Amino acid sequence: MRLEKCWFCSSTIYPGHGIQFVRNDAKIFRFCRSKCHKNFKMKRNPRKDSTFEFERKRNRPERYDRNLAENVLKAIPKIDKIRVSREERHHKNNLVKARYVLQQDPSLTLPKIKVKVSQQQSEENHAMEE
Amino acid sequence: MAAAFASRCSRVGRSLSGGLSNSSPGLFTSSHGMTCNNLFSQQQRTFIQMRTVLKVVDNSGAKKVMCIQALKGKKGARLGDTIIASVKEAHPNGKVKKGKVVYGVVVRAAMQKGRCDGSEVKFDDNAVVLVDKQGQPIGTRVFGPVPHELRQKKHVKILTLAGHIA
Repeated sequence: MRLEKCWFCSSTIYPGHGIQFVRNDAKIFRFCRSKCHKNFKMKRNPRKDSTFEFERKRNRPERYDRNLAENVLKAIPKIDKIRVSREERHHKNNLVKARYVLQQDPSLTLPKIKVKVSQQQSEENHAMEE
Repeated sequence: MAAAFASRCSRVGRSLSGGLSNSSPGLFTSSHGMTCNNLFSQQQRTFIQMRTVLKVVDNSGAKKVMCIQALKGKKGARLGDTIIASVKEAHPNGKVKKGKVVYGVVVRAAMQKGRCDGSEVKFDDNAVVLVDKQGQPIGTRVFGPVPHELRQKKHVKILTLAGHIA
């Protein structure tokens, strides 16, 4: 199965999707959904169509710039350091808040439960391990 | 005083309505034109049924035929189906003459047809290739694109004669 491209919006058409229009000069127009098909029938220009503005790719790959790449590589360790310090600070603040809440309402702490294990069970476990 | 005021109001109303009536024909015609244009561009395509005029896309001699019976289906014929048609226009020195009742295979239909892979295919117009009772084409050439679904319908000869297979 081939993955085709929509004639109108250039998105990928997966098998079993969309509609195919064959013109009398044997040119095939494939559409991913009825929105594209209807726009084509209304003779809309896909380049000018504002209804697809939201779906347009924004993160276009930038042209290689040596200085920019150098600055980015220098900045990466700094950014990592800042991220780690922020995480630590966040955890510390949360712990302080938790301690304060427990001091205010001690009923939130889990009660200590003593579990009695019989001698027979412990012997069986020991035998299983061997 | 009151009478004068009332007459003035009525005059204003009349002038307003007059203005509306004068401008209204233009408004209505423009909107009507737009709706008509939109309707024709977005016309709902349907089955090939009785009295549907189809284009003949082979060199059998007929130009236009009118469907008089769809041989399969309750509603009408679709892409790849066989129909019985009456020749409405024909070339003067062709194999078939005007008024002759012929069999034809629908090779292009404006109504979309689902394919086995789940997608749909549709064409620009309704077109037929004239065949005999055995299903062999009368003409020796087929013009324009034809769908590959004709292979399942056992019309391999039409596919071999066709220029483009969609």
